[in-house]
Amino acid sequence: MSLLKDVSIPAITAGFVAVLVSYSGPLAIFFQAAQSAEISTTMMTSWVWAISIGAAVSGIALSLWLKVPVVTAWSAPGTALLVTLFPGLSLNEAVGAYLTAAAVIFLIGITGSFDCIIQAIPPGIASAMMAGILFQFGVGVFVSLEAVPALTLGMILTYLVFKRLTPRYSLVALLLVGVGLAVAVEDASLEGVTLSLANPQFIRPEWTWNATLSLAIPLVLVSLTGQFLPGMAIMRSAGYNTAARPIVTLTSLTSLVTAFFGGITTVIAAITAAICTSKEAHEDPDKRYVAGVANGVFYLIGGTFAGTIVLLFTSLPGEFVAVLAGLALIGAITSNLSAFATHKDHLEASVITFIATASGMSFLGLGSAFWGVVVGALAHALLHRPLPGLDRRAARDPARRTS
Amino acid sequence: MRHLEKGAGLASAPRDFLRDLNADNLSAGVVAGIFGLSAGIIHISAGTAAGLPKDFTLLWVISYLFINGLFGLILPAYYRLPLPVANSIPGALLFAAIIPVVGLNEALGATLMAGAISVVVALAGWMSLVMRLIPMPIVMGMVAGVLLKFGTNMVMPLQNALIPAVVMIAAFFLSARFLRRIPPLVVTLVVGVLYMALSGADFASVEFSFRMPEFIMPAFSMDAFLAYGLPLALILVGMETPAGVGLVKGMGYKEAPANAITFVGGIGTMVSAFFNLHSTCIAAPMTGICSSPEAGTHDKRWVAAVIVGIIFVVGAPFYGFVFSLIEAMPSYFIAIIAGLALLRVISSAMHITFSGKHEVGAMFSFLIAVSGLQIFGIGASFWALILGAAISMLVEFRDFDFSRESKAARVAGEAT
Repeated sequence: MSLLKDVSIPAITAGFVAVLVSYSGPLAIFFQAAQSAEISTTMMTSWVWAISIGAAVSGIALSLWLKVPVVTAWSAPGTALLVTLFPGLSLNEAVGAYLTAAAVIFLIGITGSFDCIIQAIPPGIASAMMAGILFQFGVGVFVSLEAVPALTLGMILTYLVFKRLTPRYSLVALLLVGVGLAVAVEDASLEGVTLSLANPQFIRPEWTWNATLSLAIPLVLVSLTGQFLPGMAIMRSAGYNTAARPIVTLTSLTSLVTAFFGGITTVIAAITAAICTSKEAHEDPDKRYVAGVANGVFYLIGGTFAGTIVLLFTSLPGEFVAVLAGLALIGAITSNLSAFATHKDHLEASVITFIATASGMSFLGLGSAFWGVVVGALAHALLHRPLPGLDRRAARDPARRTS
Repeated sequence: MRHLEKGAGLASAPRDFLRDLNADNLSAGVVAGIFGLSAGIIHISAGTAAGLPKDFTLLWVISYLFINGLFGLILPAYYRLPLPVANSIPGALLFAAIIPVVGLNEALGATLMAGAISVVVALAGWMSLVMRLIPMPIVMGMVAGVLLKFGTNMVMPLQNALIPAVVMIAAFFLSARFLRRIPPLVVTLVVGVLYMALSGADFASVEFSFRMPEFIMPAFSMDAFLAYGLPLALILVGMETPAGVGLVKGMGYKEAPANAITFVGGIGTMVSAFFNLHSTCIAAPMTGICSSPEAGTHDKRWVAAVIVGIIFVVGAPFYGFVFSLIEAMPSYFIAIIAGLALLRVISSAMHITFSGKHEVGAMFSFLIAVSGLQIFGIGASFWALILGAAISMLVEFRDFDFSRESKAARVAGEAT
């Protein structure tokens, strides 16, 4: 068995750190979604179990099969999307949308059309929508600063200092210091946190147009552009020329199963992937797949004790979770904002997408992420699409573009 | 006075104006002038958003056109450069927002101090130092954050007034694309008013009126200075002048007088404080129009900027007509017009915020400004600048001009 031969301490550590970072930052967003859906602790535990098991199974299978470190996780921008949709959306509708999204991603994966689709989305529109979805979490940090100044300020400082010193561990440090501060300053009690096994809850899916347009379609879009695109890019920049097809296909199949227990779409990891594909995981690139397997194993453990994780988060103040989620997303918000703001050519269409998405408006029962893309695509077509005749004139008269 | 640049002088300006006047600079001047007139809508919507009395808002816009117009006659004529004068839009939004908190006279006192700071900075030649301590991306992050609400207010009417909102927004985009000389905002305004007329809006209250700026005495308070005066000074010195100077330099006017522009703006802002107005400074969007090749021969474009001043001064007393027209419209009308008017400003602010250096500081500045956070009774705009700059020093010190690494990089860059 070659896995036993290839196993190494650094690879296992890398897998552990990746899971810890995921549970520290991105999970906080999922908790905010759960809070806005006003669900029970048991149901929340089922959700955490589902996303963890989805990441565990797909990650272990893909890493062993492809012999490369494939780190999978749940769609972080997808969970951010949920926060605005609940409680208007029912759990059954959400699960229906998860299934639709998984089926669409499966079709994209099996037909191998991933790269074509990524190229067809106007540049700027996707990142502007993503920035618009994630934006409120960043603002939430400073809204909390007024409510609980000591805790928030302490966490912001911790984040900044550790970002400067050890960027990789900044989220983990933030979680530890934050829990300490919450206990010391805000009188949070951790006495109720005990070992507790997960008890998955089956949710009957319900398919509606509303959930398909507000959740499923934006979910596919943000998962492709916010997870699969950067995730594959990280793998490729680390020297793994793996095809997207098996990864997209297998993760979507996993999602089809976990969806019934409240698990949002399983995807390739973006935030944590680099930890397992880098040199720190192992000197030999051919042996880093062990980090991917280890990552999956730790998710398996995390999923099994999902109840404990939920108890930990629920015994801490709501602001703690908000600040943690916001700071965990600062990097993603910045990179998405600069992804569209640096390009002058599509700027106005992108900005209007961002504004419409961030506004949190809803119309015909459909959420702002959907309308952001609609308004943005229209503005893009009206303002920036090349038209014969007109653009010959514009090309002759370069001053027109600068004024 | 040694830092103030010399110009051609005013003595022969009227004669040269008639000599240099031509179809190109006339039309560019008129376009920029109409743009400036339509910018009054931003003041009206900022005033409405802050719940200020209508009478105040009307006087504010009339002062804007009249006082800024007067300085706009002098600055371009003295330097024979396309340097149109108006006021600071971000400053206008801060001004409107702070009046309910500190009071009008106190806000104007803070304006007076901001003007005085500009004058001192210009006379001392400190322009470059200020820009190094609080870098542009952080200032613009604050500006983008303050403006964002106007953007989201624009899309909100899509929820309950879908058809007029779509008609107006589409009119803006289509005319931005297909009509060259007419500002898209004017087209949107006309289309919007036509739509309202057809759908049965009541125009009974629309009337002609004549009114001049009125004198008012500023008062001083520390709160007003910290929450509004200091940010305004930073905006005037750190943003408006550099933006205007950058534009004219980009159009090939290498000897743009940065200190003099700050100085004239500072004096103008001090005068403004006595007339219900928050600032006087070089107007970046109109500078773009007046200094572009569309304004004709390079050495005659200054005429376009003077024409802007003439349009402002002549149009100011009659602005009550436009004001009453907008007053007759439903509230979402003004939200849409204001959002569209600011779309380009928001876009370019975000562009500067997120393209390159001071990324973390600029991001925090943006988020803090959006959050509307208040500490010690001081508004978010101030904390955005201060915390943004402090965080940037902590996390990305190398991006500051005076850091050792940055200097080393510059030396290395010059060597290669």
